[in-house]
Amino acid sequence: MWLPCMQPRRGRALWGLVFGLAGLFSLDAAIFRSGLYTSILEPESSAGTFELILRRERNAQPWYGKNLVVTLGDSRFAYYPRVANEHTAETGLAFRQAGVAGTDARTWYYMLRDLDPTHDRYKAVVIGVDDYDDEDGAYDIGDDLATLHYVAGRLRWTDVAPFTLSFSDPAARFQALRGSLFKGTVFQRDLLAFLSHPQKRLANVEFVNGGYEEWTYGYHETTQNVVGLKIDWERFTAEFPPGNDQLRDEVARFILYRPYPQTGRRAAFRRKWFGQLLDYYSGSPTMVVFVRLPRGPQPRPENLVRKVTHTIRDFGARPGVVLANEHAFESLEHPELFRDGFHLNDEGCTRLSEMLAREISGLLK
Amino acid sequence: MLFNTTQFLVFLVVVLALFYGLPKSLRKYLLLAASYYFYATWNVKFLALLLTLTAIDYASGLWLERVPAGRRRKAVLIFSLAANLGFLGFFKYYNFLAGNLALGLGRPSNSFLLDIVLPLGISFHTFQSMSYVVDVYRGQQRAVRNPVDYALFICFFPQLVAGPIVRARDFFRDLWAWQPPTSAEVSRGIFLIVLGLTKKMAFADQFAKVANGYFGGAAAHPGAPAALSGIFAFALQIYFDFSGYTDMAIGMAKLLGFHFPINFRRPYLAASITDFWRRWHISLSSWLRDYLYIPLGGSRGGNLATYRNLMLTMLLGGLWHGASWNFLIWGGYQGVLLSIERLIRGDRPTSDVWDWSYPPRALLTFCLALIGWVFFRAADLHQSRQVLGQMFAGGQGALLLEPWHFGLAGLALILSIGEERWEWFERAARAPVPVYAAALAAMLFCLETFAVLDAAIPFIYFQF
Repeated sequence: MWLPCMQPRRGRALWGLVFGLAGLFSLDAAIFRSGLYTSILEPESSAGTFELILRRERNAQPWYGKNLVVTLGDSRFAYYPRVANEHTAETGLAFRQAGVAGTDARTWYYMLRDLDPTHDRYKAVVIGVDDYDDEDGAYDIGDDLATLHYVAGRLRWTDVAPFTLSFSDPAARFQALRGSLFKGTVFQRDLLAFLSHPQKRLANVEFVNGGYEEWTYGYHETTQNVVGLKIDWERFTAEFPPGNDQLRDEVARFILYRPYPQTGRRAAFRRKWFGQLLDYYSGSPTMVVFVRLPRGPQPRPENLVRKVTHTIRDFGARPGVVLANEHAFESLEHPELFRDGFHLNDEGCTRLSEMLAREISGLLK
Repeated sequence: MLFNTTQFLVFLVVVLALFYGLPKSLRKYLLLAASYYFYATWNVKFLALLLTLTAIDYASGLWLERVPAGRRRKAVLIFSLAANLGFLGFFKYYNFLAGNLALGLGRPSNSFLLDIVLPLGISFHTFQSMSYVVDVYRGQQRAVRNPVDYALFICFFPQLVAGPIVRARDFFRDLWAWQPPTSAEVSRGIFLIVLGLTKKMAFADQFAKVANGYFGGAAAHPGAPAALSGIFAFALQIYFDFSGYTDMAIGMAKLLGFHFPINFRRPYLAASITDFWRRWHISLSSWLRDYLYIPLGGSRGGNLATYRNLMLTMLLGGLWHGASWNFLIWGGYQGVLLSIERLIRGDRPTSDVWDWSYPPRALLTFCLALIGWVFFRAADLHQSRQVLGQMFAGGQGALLLEPWHFGLAGLALILSIGEERWEWFERAARAPVPVYAAALAAMLFCLETFAVLDAAIPFIYFQF
């Protein structure tokens, strides 16, 4: 008889339920909000990569002085900080990269909030975007639930409402609400994998933690290029280098498209999340710099781009916000400098790194 | 509207709020309306069938009470049973019989088939309805005068689609002498709902993914380890799925002041097949015992008659689940096991003493149950043979279960033993608030971390 039984009292069920829910939130907080579980996430998962980068950049901050510049973007903002930093004597700046492949402005906001809680750890935050103007694409980026899987470890109780309401689709909102309230639902697959092989996971996490700085900052992109890619924008056809099926698929799906109807959703998303990010640095010594990244080996001609609004340009008028020359990296938009339809290759990354260092240095002087 | 959906949660909360907000005299009308609405959300057309069967059995009950004992009384009973079995037979067994008849006549098996959709829960509510009529016929139950009361007995939403099969006397005792649930009953009701949800979403659905993956393409998963994974996963899926549903049904009924019978008592801890059937789907087993096995003569006519009665009861029990040779074989297999066990044991009662022999006996019973589940789950006889072949002579292959599945199964085993020996769940449901809340929190956390959330896997027994 391990439990004493007592006479039930009125309200017992209600109090039991209330305390039961409190217990659930406490367990969730102890495991998923304390950093306990986020420190052992699978390094190759969305949240795991995000957390690794955040940890790596936090750890690196003490190595630098007041000249630190952090860049944020998705996989298209591929450059070599080590190459950019070869010019530190000339530029006076040290570059670090906190971008995460597949992410957007919403994710970058949460990254910066935890990377720079005092709003002054960086001389500048450089954000790479594909365009200063807003063009709606095939899907609504505002309802992209991938964000939840990147930032789940960073969401606080106070984020639940704003994060949830930042989605417009009711189903996405529900998932965002559920995920931000109960993080175990987001980390479920990761947790099950961990429970299957806990020792292997812990060893892998330790291994990756030990080498991540070196691997990522010493990384070399492929030298492969897409020479031979020719797009006929009049006929919407393309010629491809032989044997590159992946490029063929990518171009067909993401590049050779007719303009989509302009709904203004992308502009609204950018206004909200870049706006929130700029508000975060409002009044701080940190400059926020937008750069337009090389768009591709053969960018879409102007007549196929629908530019209704210009959110980033409008932000340029804010104090503490600078827009780099949008044509600054156009010279890199050639098939020999790209490894696929969107990403620079080794040579492209090297050149972008040097050009970026000079461009940012010029803007911050 | 599945029990494990937000839509149902909202429905339940609204029903509870209205139920306790309305005057007592109106509450049963609310429950009736809510139950019909619940049923209509699946398929509004079958409401007509439900109403027809309700009307027939309601009238039969009244008629039976007025007709003196004799042939006319029997005729009324036969009319009612024929109506119930007729509808059940048409919707559930017509295509099976027509297919086999066509094959027997050497014609294509689809020659006489009709496009029939099985009404949800028909096997449950017809059995419940038939038991009422038989009880009235036997004089064990007074005929219900109020049609609303009777309609509510048939369609009460917590148990309408998958039981437990409630006896009329139990239901009307609660309805006619309704008492608000005590604090302990409300606590237990909430506890059972959360427990049921956890069983369904965190356990059953996780194992369902493995079982469905295997049985969805057994040929693509060769080898004994894959077959054993598939059937082991299904064994756990069906238990957690059905007992989880039942827990929720019992819990909801408690919140509304009704008391449903227990339907499962940790069947995989049974130390014999006889014991298994005393622990598995108890409301159906006891229905079959009271309305089929005992009327057939039970064990009163000697060994051979007992074996015959066991076989007939289990064959019909198998057919109750569905119209296919697989279910018939599954029922027959259970009947053979029960007969063999009785042959070995004789008239001695089954032993449920926890001694050294208990674990191996329980393991053997579980393994025998596993073999039976192959017929229950496989799509047809061909797949059953294929799976059994793989289980016993499949050679090497990949295990479809991850280590965490075994962790989950191990946790379930420990909790089952804890409940069996020390009534852990019972005690937690009655414990002081801190312990009760801790148990709820643990189950909710289990739901958070293990529940399959974005794939609505239907309850298995909804198809019966």
